[in-house]
Amino acid sequence: MGSISDSTLQALTLLFGGDPGLWEIIGISFRVSLTAIALATPVAVGIAFLLAYGRFPGRRLLITAFNTLLSFPAVVVGLTFYILLSRQGPLGDWQLLFTQPAMIIGQIALALPILVAMGHSSLQSTDRRAWETARTLGAGRMRSMLTLMREARFGLLAALLAGFGRIIAEVGASMMLGGNILHYTRNIPTAIALETSKGEFAQGIALGLVLLAMAFLLNGLLQLVQGKGRPVA
Amino acid sequence: MNQLLCRNIHKKFGRRRILEDVDISLTAGECLLLCGRNGAGKSTLLRILAGMERPDQADVTIDGTVRRWRQAKKRLLAECIYLHQQPYLFEGSVRYNLNYPLSGTRVAREARIREGLDWSGLADLAEQPVHQLSGGERQRVALVRAWLRGPRVMLLDEPTANMDVACRQRTVDLLRTLKGQGMALLIATHDPESFSGVSERTMVLHDGCLKDADLGLTELPEKVTPIGRRVRGTA
Repeated sequence: MGSISDSTLQALTLLFGGDPGLWEIIGISFRVSLTAIALATPVAVGIAFLLAYGRFPGRRLLITAFNTLLSFPAVVVGLTFYILLSRQGPLGDWQLLFTQPAMIIGQIALALPILVAMGHSSLQSTDRRAWETARTLGAGRMRSMLTLMREARFGLLAALLAGFGRIIAEVGASMMLGGNILHYTRNIPTAIALETSKGEFAQGIALGLVLLAMAFLLNGLLQLVQGKGRPVA
Repeated sequence: MNQLLCRNIHKKFGRRRILEDVDISLTAGECLLLCGRNGAGKSTLLRILAGMERPDQADVTIDGTVRRWRQAKKRLLAECIYLHQQPYLFEGSVRYNLNYPLSGTRVAREARIREGLDWSGLADLAEQPVHQLSGGERQRVALVRAWLRGPRVMLLDEPTANMDVACRQRTVDLLRTLKGQGMALLIATHDPESFSGVSERTMVLHDGCLKDADLGLTELPEKVTPIGRRVRGTA
């Protein structure tokens, strides 16, 4: 009991004392995950829009595929890209394994299904008259699409927050693709796993608190955003 | 655009035939009423004319130039505006909605919005969020927004449905002004009496065919179109 309270105290000291090693890990985590979400979002919104408003063969199959990928374990995503990026793999020449870009690729693959599935459902639930009204008021396809995204913004933002929440806390893909290299690819979840395996809990608890605080913040934001979403007839 | 003529309109939904060889003509400053029972195809016809619903077949003549509907779609979208029975207002204020179809400088847009608000008697509601408006106010906002876009043809789907007498009268007055400005109006309605002072003709859509309420089936003389297919021509 004493050691838990000691570790927690140490964790708080590390966190609020501005420990450079700890904050570097937090920085890497946010840099990688924010880059991944920034790259995945435009693609995902485009796909979601196509699935919600496009009519093409295989559309339903694609929706089912993205919904299935929602439950794809992070470690399997890590394994898939590990095989692709490893020296003998088809993308081995890129020499990306154990780099931040590899972690970003893995996190994009994890975030994309969430962004697409939630984005699709949000766009699909938007009144179809919104699109028709934009078009009949003289908006081109692109402006109409942006209008629709504005109408569905609360749902799309919820998708964004959920996607970010998933990738910032995932350990499997980051560990396998990043290699947990200090000062380079060690992020919050991989550092927690490492510190715990060494029996040193202080840093793990400190990083866990960061993840917890972030989860709280994201959920708070989500509540705020969903509370503001008002259906307009 | 002075005249819009749409001929040989055919539309099926699945096996259900909605429109069969329908011809309709609209001239600037003219107001037509379109009646028919629920599901007769009034909204479908309006949406086809607005360039929003693809027909199985249709030829469109705008100011004498004949095109297939697909080629004319862009022009239809530019010249016509369609107002839903329950108009969709974008989330935000009345001002945001009125600003939507406008282009040009901020000052010019602001002047047009003020003009629209004064014209429709909605000046007090400019900053009001649209979800706080009554049904009648929403309908008027949609009408002003459509007017600000400056279309040549306005296609209105039950514009006075669920309105009280005063609100209906106000909307009819606005439509009369639009007609006076040279806009062509096609109004789908179950209540033709409300528009008796505005409209010249009443058409009835029945079993996929369009009939003049007074004369029976609409018959237009025949002519050969530039695309080489025989269609019934305009008078």
